Amino acid sequence: MRSLLEQQRTFAARLLEAGSGPLRMEVYRANAFGNWSGALGGAYPVVRALVGAEFFDRLARDFALATPSTSGDLHEYGEQLAPFLERYAHTQDLPYLPDVARLEWLAHRAYYAADPEPLDFSRPTEARLAPACGLLRSNWTVARIWDAHQEGGDPAAVDLCAGPEHVLVHRPGWRVEVRALERGDYRFLERLQAGAGLGPALEAAVAADAAFDARAAFAAWVQTGVITR
Amino acid sequence: MAGLGAGIGLRARHYADFMGGARPAAGWLEVHSENYFAAGGRERAVLEALRRDYPVSLHGVGLGLGSAEGYSTRHEDRLCALVERVQPAFVSEHLCWGAAAGRHFNDLLPLPFSREALDLVAGRVARLQERLGRRILVENVSCYVEPGGSEMGEGEFLAALARRTGCGLLLDVNNLYVNQVNLGRDALAQMRALDPASVREIHLAGFFAGEDCLIDTHGARVADPVWRLYDAALALFGPVPTLIEWDTDVPPLAVLLDEAAKAQARLDSPHALAA
Repeated sequence: MRSLLEQQRTFAARLLEAGSGPLRMEVYRANAFGNWSGALGGAYPVVRALVGAEFFDRLARDFALATPSTSGDLHEYGEQLAPFLERYAHTQDLPYLPDVARLEWLAHRAYYAADPEPLDFSRPTEARLAPACGLLRSNWTVARIWDAHQEGGDPAAVDLCAGPEHVLVHRPGWRVEVRALERGDYRFLERLQAGAGLGPALEAAVAADAAFDARAAFAAWVQTGVITR
Repeated sequence: MAGLGAGIGLRARHYADFMGGARPAAGWLEVHSENYFAAGGRERAVLEALRRDYPVSLHGVGLGLGSAEGYSTRHEDRLCALVERVQPAFVSEHLCWGAAAGRHFNDLLPLPFSREALDLVAGRVARLQERLGRRILVENVSCYVEPGGSEMGEGEFLAALARRTGCGLLLDVNNLYVNQVNLGRDALAQMRALDPASVREIHLAGFFAGEDCLIDTHGARVADPVWRLYDAALALFGPVPTLIEWDTDVPPLAVLLDEAAKAQARLDSPHALAA
């Protein structure tokens, strides 16, 4: 008799191959690919809108076959979409798509990230980026693309080639927000995120942008909850 | 726990109904554990708020107690942390497998009722109960193909698992009916094979009638033959806490509460006290 391991490997292989095994394997196939596609679309609503729902289903299927799910928690599914899109033949005419995916993964992560703890101003050395924060530098106007696909936005109005953009993803309260940053602010938050410490991060920001006002920037980022302890 | 009565599955669509002021009259709430594994954010805050006003049950969909390979102890760690935080009324998992050949299928895949599968699942259940310091409930799943290699019936397997590990059973009456239609497994016979004291929770849901088989979509009201099986279950097991599940095309909360009221009426009727 076959072992449980052999049996499950056979079942798995049939599940991935259309038309293989008994007819009703199709129910399992539809469940698995449907769950993967649903999870991917949930994490990447803007990518889905940019390519259209119908094509997204095909993309999701190709992605699922190429990139095995490795967690029983579907909220962790889809992290490798951006590198997949870099290589995906059918979307090479949308060169900004991988960066939109990078931004959406940061937003997805931000939604589920740990809640921040406010910084005590008397202990500035404890300053760090809130757990939900993410930074992205793109040659494309990804923050504007993202904005245009939120409620009330106008996707047709975006100039795709007005980049580069320096983008911050954060989560004040429960809602994820995306904003484009000036070069000095981006450098400051990026160095802080890399663990450079408050002093060196501010110095790096001034070096990148002579107009950067260190005192005002620090206070503002603490106030908005981007810098926490 | 018999006093819990009828509850409903909490879904994101109904957060506003629950968080908007007066708490809806549900006996208890069940959530999918994995939806609350996150370190922070809104989902977690909603659960922590509702936990103060309702008994909560954590129902796992991704552990895969019967996966011969790819079983994740990290998933177990995350579940244990959630149980510690929420202190739920019940913790339940499915009798199924989910991973093989380096891939998670994110579905409830069918196990053969073999001694090998029983040894594997019983070991995992015992270990999980030890880690949690509490009893868990294990639920029967709906099936579309016979995996082959079964050496006993579904009810016999569930009864043996409960006997060996001390775990409770979460009896999904809809799944028993789906399996009866799809695979010819006698639903009533499976129920009669169980020790009544081991049945701690019942699930009810609606299925989709496909061309070739019933599909367990959790996307409709409970079907009449499933209500009749539920009556039989209450006669066998007594007024066991019962949950209405709805996962696809989730309707307004009032529809779920209406289904829960139907279950509650049956829980309150005299024949449910027979056991």
